[in-house]
Amino acid sequence: MSEFDKIVSKGLGRRSLLQALGATAVGISFTGLAACSKEAAKEPTKSAATTRIAATGEEPKLNFYNWDTYIGETTLADFKGLGGAEVNMTLFASNDELFAKLRAGNAGYDVIVPSNDFVERMAAADMLVPLDHSLIPNFQNIAPEYQDVPYDPKRKHSMPYTWLTLGIGYRKSKVKAVPDSWKVIFDSDEYKGRIAVLSEAGDMFRLYAKYLGKSVNGLTKDDIKIIEAMMIKQKPNFKAFHEDNGQDLLLKGEVDLVMEYNGDIAQAMAEDDDIGFVLPKEGSQFNSDNLCIPKGAPRPKNAHAFINYLLDAEAGKKITETILYPTPNAAAKALMPDEYKNNPVVFPAAEQLAKCEYAKYNPELQPLYEEAFTRVRAA
Amino acid sequence: MALFKRTPIAPLDYTRKLWMRGWVGATLLFLYAPLLVLMVFSFNDSKRNAVWKGFTFKYYEKAFANSSLVEAMVNSLTIALLATVISVVLGALAGVLLWRFRFPFKGAVEGVMSLPIIVPEICLGVAMLIFFAKIDWPTGLPWPLNLSAITIAHITFCFPFVAMVVRSRMASFNREQEEAAKDLGASEWETFRDILLPHMKPGLIAGALLAFTLSLDDFVITFFTSGPDTVTFPVKVYSMVRFSVTPEVNAASTILILLTIALTAVALKVQGVKGIAETH
Amino acid sequence: MALQDWKQHKRPFAAIASGPILWLLLFFLVPMTVVWLYSFGQNSGPAEISITGTLDNYKRATEWLYLSIFGKSLAVAALVTVICLVIGFPVAMAITFASEKWRPWLLVAIMLPFWTNLLIRTYALMMLMGSNGYANRGLGAMWDGASWLKTLVGLQPLEAWTPVQLLYNNFAVVLGLVYVHLPFMVLPLYSALDRLDKSLIEASLDLGAGHLRTLFKIVVPLAMPGIMAGVMITLIPALGAYLTPDLMGGTDSQMIANVIERQFKRANDWPFGAALSFLLIYAMFILVALQSMRGDKAKAGER
Repeated sequence: MSEFDKIVSKGLGRRSLLQALGATAVGISFTGLAACSKEAAKEPTKSAATTRIAATGEEPKLNFYNWDTYIGETTLADFKGLGGAEVNMTLFASNDELFAKLRAGNAGYDVIVPSNDFVERMAAADMLVPLDHSLIPNFQNIAPEYQDVPYDPKRKHSMPYTWLTLGIGYRKSKVKAVPDSWKVIFDSDEYKGRIAVLSEAGDMFRLYAKYLGKSVNGLTKDDIKIIEAMMIKQKPNFKAFHEDNGQDLLLKGEVDLVMEYNGDIAQAMAEDDDIGFVLPKEGSQFNSDNLCIPKGAPRPKNAHAFINYLLDAEAGKKITETILYPTPNAAAKALMPDEYKNNPVVFPAAEQLAKCEYAKYNPELQPLYEEAFTRVRAA
Repeated sequence: MALFKRTPIAPLDYTRKLWMRGWVGATLLFLYAPLLVLMVFSFNDSKRNAVWKGFTFKYYEKAFANSSLVEAMVNSLTIALLATVISVVLGALAGVLLWRFRFPFKGAVEGVMSLPIIVPEICLGVAMLIFFAKIDWPTGLPWPLNLSAITIAHITFCFPFVAMVVRSRMASFNREQEEAAKDLGASEWETFRDILLPHMKPGLIAGALLAFTLSLDDFVITFFTSGPDTVTFPVKVYSMVRFSVTPEVNAASTILILLTIALTAVALKVQGVKGIAETH
Repeated sequence: MALQDWKQHKRPFAAIASGPILWLLLFFLVPMTVVWLYSFGQNSGPAEISITGTLDNYKRATEWLYLSIFGKSLAVAALVTVICLVIGFPVAMAITFASEKWRPWLLVAIMLPFWTNLLIRTYALMMLMGSNGYANRGLGAMWDGASWLKTLVGLQPLEAWTPVQLLYNNFAVVLGLVYVHLPFMVLPLYSALDRLDKSLIEASLDLGAGHLRTLFKIVVPLAMPGIMAGVMITLIPALGAYLTPDLMGGTDSQMIANVIERQFKRANDWPFGAALSFLLIYAMFILVALQSMRGDKAKAGER
C-alpha cells in the first residue's frame, strides 16, 4: 500500500517537476496549501466525507495509466483503505504515446487520462467504453460548465480531471512590459532568442489562429499556408521548441518568455517570485485532462468505482493540493483555501476565459498541421 | 629526461606515451564528467538539480522505498541478462555462418541480418507492437515470463550487432589451425569448441558488452512492447523525468551504475581478468 | 580464406544456420513485412489502416522537403562518425597496447558510461552545457580571469562575459551524439587492432617509417574490417537518433528520425511513417551493400 505513497510523493504537477513540498520553503501564496499537503503525507487519512466503497465482485486490482505526479499524495492508498481495489499506476508522458500504445489493443489498462482532443479521437476510433453514469454519482460535484462539453457531449466517455489554458509565462525582470498579446512571441523580434514555444503542431497553429483573430477550429488550408510563412519568419527569434518543460527553461534562465500551461507556470511561480503569467488578450485554447475507460479494460466496475472516487470532493481536494492545477470539481474547489481559489493564474478572470475555446479534433487538418510544422522546422 | 622514466618507452609502447595518455585521459574526462555530476547531485538536498543546496541521503531512501522504481530496475537487469546471453549465442552462430560458409542467398541473408541495425527504432517498436497484438501474445503471465515479449524484441535488435563484431574478429582467424585440428582427428564440434571459440572470445566479450548496453538502455522498442506490469527502468525514468530530473532519479541511476559495476566485477573474477583482453 | 560450400558440410551448416535464420524470419521479417504492407496503405479512420496498394506515401516521402531533411541527417551522422573515429582510434590503440593488467579495466571504463540511462546522461550533459551550466560558468571564470590579468598589465579589461550558446543548436546535437556513440566505435576498433600482428609495425618502424606513416600505411589497412564495422555501428544508429536532437537541438535541428517519430505518434499517420522508414532502410541498405562489396573486392584483390 505504501508503494503508492512513494510513487506519488515525489512532487506535483503533471508535466513539471516543481514539488508542492518545495513550495513550503518558497511560496508566499501557497504556504497554506503546503501545510495541508505535508499533513497528508504523514498518513492516509479517512475523511468523514468519503464513504465506504462497495465491493464490485471483480478482482481487487486496477491498472491506472496516468501522467507523472498527476495524483494526490495519498489518493491511491486512501482508495484502497476505503475498500477499493489496489491501484497500479504506470506513467506515460504524452497523449500520442498513449494513443499509439492503445491503438493496437489494450494491454490491460483499466483507467486512462487522455486530453480533450484525444478523447474525441479515441471515441471516434471506438477505443473507449461508454461510462455508466449510475456508477458515478459524484458527477454532481463537477461544475456545470464541465458537465457537458463539445468534445464529449453529455460526458458519454469521459469525466473531467483537470482543465488548463495556454498562455505566456515570463520573467518579470527581463521584460519591458507585461506581454499581454501573442504578438510578443509570434510576430516580433523584441526578445530575439529568448523565446520558447510548444513543439506541438496543432496547438501552435491554433494559437496563431487566435492571434489572427480566428477561432481555433476555423482554419482553412490557405490560413495554414499564411501561418506557416509567419512561423518561418519568426523562427530565428525562437530559442527552442519545448515539449512542455517550458517552465523549467524559464526557471533556469534559458529563456525569458515561454508558451506554457497556466498550471505549470503557477507551480513555477511558487518557486520563483520573478515569474509571471498572462493570458493574452486575443484569447487562448482550453485543454482538459479526462478520465476514461479504454475498451477491453479487464475490470470496468473497479474502473468506474475509481473514477467516482477521484471525483469525490475530499479526494479531489487532496489531489488538487498536490498538483495545484485548475480543477473542474466544484465541490473540491470549495474546500480549497482562498489563495488557490483566487489565484488569477490558476483561475483566470471570466472575461478572459470567455475568449478561450476547446480544440476540436479535426482529422483532415491535423496531418496538414503536422506537415506544415515539419516544413517550418526544416526551414 | 631519462630520470623521469623507469624504463625507456619502447616504440610500440603507445600507451605510455604522454600524448596518448593525455588523449585517453581527456576522452575519459569527457565521458565521465556528466556522470560524476549526476552522481554528485544525487546527494543534492533540493527538488531540482540546478543548484547545490546541501548533502543528503534522503533521495536514496526514497529510491529504495519506491517499489515501482526497484521493480523496473529488476526488470531491466533481467531482460538485459537474458537478452545478452541469447544474443551472444545467436550472434556467434550468425557470425560464424557468414564467415565460414558459401550458400545460396548468402547476400540476402547478410542483408537481412544487418537490417535490425538499420531500421529506425520506432519502426521496429511499432512493428513488434503490431506483431504481438496480432498473434495474441499472452499477457498477464507471471514474472519473468511476462518479460518475454520485451526480451524477444531486444534479442532481435541486439544479436546482429554481436554477429557483426564476431565476424570482424573471425576475419583474422587463420584457417590453417582449423584444418590442422581436423587433420589431427578432431570432430566438428571439438574444432569449434577448442579452436574457433578461443579465437572468438574477445569478439564475444565485446559483443556481449555491446548487447548488454543496448538492452539495458533501450527505450523506444521497450516502450511499445511493455505493458502495465512490465515497466523497465528507461521507460519508467522517461515518464518520470520527461521534463526535469529529480535527485531521486539520479540516486536510482547511481545505484544501477554501481550494480552493473558489481556485476562486471563478478564476471571478470569468474572469467579471469586477463581473459577479457587476450591477445591470442 | 576459402569459404566452405554448405553442401559439403550440411550438418554443421544446419546446426549453425537454423537458430539465427529462424529467429530473423519469425521475429523480424514477419513484423517488418506487416509495417511494409502498411506503407502501401492509408488511414481509414483514426485507428484503422487499409492496405490499398497506393504509392502515395512513397511519393510524398520523396518530396524535396523530406529528402533535404534526410540529407542533413546524413551529414550530421557522417560528421559524428568522423569525430568518433578520430577520437576513438587513439583510444583503441591505447587499449590494445596497454599492459595486460590495464587493458580490461580500460575497456570497462569506456563501456561504463553507456550503462547509464540515455535520458539521464543527456540531462546531465545539458546541465553542464546550459546558459547557467558549469561549462559556461567555467568559461566565464576563465574569461574574467583573463580580463583581470589584462587589467594587471594595464590593458583594457575584456567586455562582460555573455554565456556561449552551447545548447539548443546543432553543436549540441553533434556533441551529444558523439557522447553517445563513442564506445560503439571503440569496441570494434579494439577488436580488430587486437589481432594485428605487432611485428609488422615493428618492422615498419625499423625500416625507417615514422609513426604516422606506419599508422596510415600499415595499421589502418590491416585494421580496415574493424574500422568499417565501427563506422557502420556508429553511422547508422546516429542517422536514426531522435532523442538527442529532440532534447538538445535548437529550432532547426530536426533529423529524419524525429520526422518519422512524429508520423507514428503525433500525426498518427502510420502508413506515411512506414514509407519514410522504409526509404531510410533502403538507402542504408544500399550503403551497407556497397561497403560489403568493396570489402569483398578488397579481399579478392589481396590474392
